[in-house]
Amino acid sequence: MSEVNMPRLSDTMQEGTISRWLKKQGDEIKKGDILAEIETDKATMELEAYDAGILEEILVQEGETVPIGQVVAKIGNGSATQKKVPPAATQRGSKAEAAPNGDKTEKGDAVPAQVDEPQKESTGTQRKGAGTEESNGKGIETEESIVQSKSTGREESGSRSESAGREESDGSRMVKASPLARHMAEEHGIDLHQLQGTGPGGRIVRDDIEDYLEQQEKTPAATPAKASAPTTPAQELPVPTSAPSSLPTDTEAIPLSRVQTIIARRLAESKQTIPHFYVSSEVDMTDALAMRQALNASAGDEGIKVSVNDLIVKACALALEKFPEVNSSFKDGQFLRHKQIHIGIAVDVPSGLVVPVIRDANIKGVRSIARESKALIEKARANKLSPNDLEGGTFSVSNLGMMDVTDFIAVINPPQAAILAVASTRKHFVPIDGQPVIRDLMSMTMSSDHRIIYGATVAHFLQEVKRLLQSPYNVLG
Amino acid sequence: MAEITYRQALHDALRDELLRDENVFLMGEEIGVFEGSYKITAGLLKEFGPKRVVDTPICENGFVGMATGAAMLGLRPIVEIMTINFIMLAMDEIVNHAAKIYYMFGGQCPIPLVIRTPGGGGQQLSATHSQNLEVWFAHVPGLKVVAPSTPADAKGLLRSSVRDNNPVIFLENLALYNVKGEVDEGDYTVPIGSAKVTKEGKDVTVISYSRMAAVALDVARRLEEENKLSVEVVDLRSLRPLDHETIVNSVKKTNRAIVFEEDWRSFGIGAEIAATLQEEAFDFLDAPIKRVASLEVPLPYSKSLERAALTGAKQLMEAIDELTPRRRR
Repeated sequence: MSEVNMPRLSDTMQEGTISRWLKKQGDEIKKGDILAEIETDKATMELEAYDAGILEEILVQEGETVPIGQVVAKIGNGSATQKKVPPAATQRGSKAEAAPNGDKTEKGDAVPAQVDEPQKESTGTQRKGAGTEESNGKGIETEESIVQSKSTGREESGSRSESAGREESDGSRMVKASPLARHMAEEHGIDLHQLQGTGPGGRIVRDDIEDYLEQQEKTPAATPAKASAPTTPAQELPVPTSAPSSLPTDTEAIPLSRVQTIIARRLAESKQTIPHFYVSSEVDMTDALAMRQALNASAGDEGIKVSVNDLIVKACALALEKFPEVNSSFKDGQFLRHKQIHIGIAVDVPSGLVVPVIRDANIKGVRSIARESKALIEKARANKLSPNDLEGGTFSVSNLGMMDVTDFIAVINPPQAAILAVASTRKHFVPIDGQPVIRDLMSMTMSSDHRIIYGATVAHFLQEVKRLLQSPYNVLG
Repeated sequence: MAEITYRQALHDALRDELLRDENVFLMGEEIGVFEGSYKITAGLLKEFGPKRVVDTPICENGFVGMATGAAMLGLRPIVEIMTINFIMLAMDEIVNHAAKIYYMFGGQCPIPLVIRTPGGGGQQLSATHSQNLEVWFAHVPGLKVVAPSTPADAKGLLRSSVRDNNPVIFLENLALYNVKGEVDEGDYTVPIGSAKVTKEGKDVTVISYSRMAAVALDVARRLEEENKLSVEVVDLRSLRPLDHETIVNSVKKTNRAIVFEEDWRSFGIGAEIAATLQEEAFDFLDAPIKRVASLEVPLPYSKSLERAALTGAKQLMEAIDELTPRRRR
């Protein structure tokens, strides 16, 4: 049985709120699955499973707040979800420390789960009884377990043995593999859980990977099906873990990276669960472009150049000040209205899409915004963004203007309530005093969460953005 | 090309350097009249006279200090310490003075000093005369440490050491002196800080130096003939600076490494190599790096106990056997 603790997700985090469980009791968990979303003082982040198994128990319900280190769920082999905990029977010894040692001795997968179960459960209840003092004393999630397993001097199973090896008969423990084997598995898209290691202590080594690859070459269809069929939960987005068997030869299967998996899941979730609605507007950017040109000319060659997007970010920030309902989130059936205005800017990167955040954009000047967004974009492209750069956005802007698009619609970046999709600025004839005049027109479309924002609000908001951009000196204020 | 002994190679290199540069001179116990405890300096007193080949009293701290002073003033002393076991007396001169003067006096005077000294056990010289203390020096910035395993490298590295402007600890080995090998006749040098792959292989890398590098090469050749195992051997040749590139590239190829050393295991050369490999080739490692070293005891006098305590071909073969991947056997 391994415990899932409230992780420390930022330096200042003291406690976290489970905002949503993405898995329910009884679900099969793969290592790396997102179990829940956690709301911290800074942002909403994901709670990742470090072990595979069955989610046996959820100890902290949605909306509850607990200190870091506290056990929020247990992952085991599933028997505990069927069998109820037998009372008493503290055979394991009275000290909590006895548990890890006891577990360590029975390393073999041969230990029958049935026989072992009551004992483990009693350990579990006992731990619960020992309560917060133990989990607090435990410090931060796995760090403690590293220390513990080291001090008991067990070399073979490495640093995770304590947290991962608790329930070993169910295959939930961490996969032991040499760095090279991991590297090769990643390269070939092999799920290490499928392999049986033949190295010392069951470690998966190069030999095992080579065996597997050879075997797969011989029987390309049979192996992956057998290996992965029972472990894929139906409701999860399928993440290819091995070469799919039924693809035509002219099609290549490219496994998703970690980031791409998250993007895929979150966007699908957003579009499926958030009632999007769309409002478009057209802005005359002629004056804004002229002002930008003047600004940049006066900045000189060395100065920071302000982009059209920077002006839009600033205009949105000021409009959000005026319409705070747009600057909010929908969570657990309530409105969260944010006082600060942090604007995410969608940046296209090789691995997909990231949305770094410009904080307090409403009180920053356009040059500061320009400087910051330039830095963030560079970091994004270099894959150097820190969680801090990505946390806490309250509104997003996605701009495809430089790519000659007439119009487009963006998917909301949850838990935000809205995103503004900005298209290219194009020259149009516009009737002014009955005469056709060439003006620079830009189309923008806002996608909004209809649970918390309504059409009129968006229309007013867009009017304000438009007003600011059409008399652009307002955004310099 | 001629086949000569390691001893002869050292002798020839010393003589060549004495001839090449009049600032070069030799100092040490019994190196002149007695022609050296291991006869490396045979005939040199006769040829170059007592100003170039200086017999010293038995006081390592005194004459290593003197050599350091001579180096400060522009001479290029080559000191022989009879065995590395006696070098302890000169630790202060080496570590606190020779290694630091160039730095502490603003680069005013380099210390072109060479200290030649043999290490190693297996001669029934007991605990205080059989040690391998090179790691002490390899630890110290400001020193260079070289440890050739073949006559050719001995000659080339001794030339480089004499011509280097830093203090160099030149590690020899009692059991290597009679080993023969092909040596080029020209005035070639072997660069300090460059390891050498002495045998290519693909199943496992054995990293070693000095006498154990010779043993490793032997074992590797034998295993290849007998068992078709393909063992790569890297002879470090220099311990400081350490040639990371060669060892890392080798392990990237074979994915498994053994460090084979005659010294004690804890805090040894093997520890340094293992740390380097996990830092620079982590994703290429298929197994923990093995260290094959001597038992951590004062070396016994008794022949059978001495043999039991020292590492050697047998221990290396066992380690290779354990480490070689299943599919390559």
